[in-house]
Amino acid sequence: MKEYFVLRTPLKREMMTAVRLATGGVCSSAGMSYDGGEDCKVCVTESLLLLMHRGFEAASVRFYTCEEGGIRVCVTADAGEGTQSLSEEDEIALALLNALATDVSLDTSEGGLSSIAVVFGPQA
Amino acid sequence: MNEEELFRKYRETHDVALRNQIVEKYLYIAAVLAKKFVGRGVEYDDLYQVASLALIKGVDRFDERKGLRFSTFITPTITGEIKNYFRDRSRLVHLPRKVSELRVSIKHASEAFFAEQGRKPTAKELAQQLGVSEEEVLRATDAGGVVSLDVSVDREGEGMSLHDVLPADGDIFEKVEDRDALEAALRTLTRQERELIKCRFGQELSQMETAKKLGVSQMNVSRMERRVLQKLRETMKKAMVE
Repeated sequence: MKEYFVLRTPLKREMMTAVRLATGGVCSSAGMSYDGGEDCKVCVTESLLLLMHRGFEAASVRFYTCEEGGIRVCVTADAGEGTQSLSEEDEIALALLNALATDVSLDTSEGGLSSIAVVFGPQA
Repeated sequence: MNEEELFRKYRETHDVALRNQIVEKYLYIAAVLAKKFVGRGVEYDDLYQVASLALIKGVDRFDERKGLRFSTFITPTITGEIKNYFRDRSRLVHLPRKVSELRVSIKHASEAFFAEQGRKPTAKELAQQLGVSEEEVLRATDAGGVVSLDVSVDREGEGMSLHDVLPADGDIFEKVEDRDALEAALRTLTRQERELIKCRFGQELSQMETAKKLGVSQMNVSRMERRVLQKLRETMKKAMVE
């Protein structure tokens, strides 16, 4: 797996458009379809919003190209403290990630959700 | 009543009032999910409608005995329906000829029926009259948003049709070049991929019909089609640059 692009953003709603545009660009240059790119944008913004709702202040978004094709995106909190628990709407967001991505993994080792990784396979 | 009790009671009674109560209780999920897909060229209201219909269908399919929460169950169901809606809309760009023809026949048959009976025909009546299945009528009418080439361009409904005012075919040399580039790109495909292109764009078969012919699932056809089109686009783009 090769790191392809890294983005660090404050967890603020007004930054989401910029993140979506960057994600779309990365997906396009990685050869993903239009629909795959749109799904990836949703997953990245939802992941950032989940971390924001937990109380984190900033996060990094790392895009990797997978050897077997497709991309892996890791969204990790890297500033602030995630003290809030997730709401019912956040649970829906998590279910949405599972519905859109080929694979989703959550890191909850530090007492709550702090990192989300989604994979879009070569078909995306 | 908690979630489990609600669904157990509905499963036992199939009471429509109870179903409506459940749908109202979870309608916010449809709203939340519809919002996530705004910005892809479809109005929120349309997405909300698709999501709500998926929710209603999902209520009937949900089995609380499996231990899953309803929100966990319904989210992929609604998401799937919304994605299908996007896929079907994008198919309009390449509306199969037989669907276009059927739409024209439906229009004419509807007008004749209305003139004779004084009311609009049902899909079943149209199907009987046109000698096609009810599903074909519904599918053709669903493929809306397409303007007939015969439609008049002036308010009075007379004079020139849209076909008359559309620009003529492009440069013939350009067409030949496009054809050459496409032929070269097609040669880069595998036998199965070429077969798929032939079925979908030559014979204008649906994904389901193509799946049957190729002996794979409709989902496989959908994925393969996306991949093949992407491959063709890239090959042709490269050829144009070179």
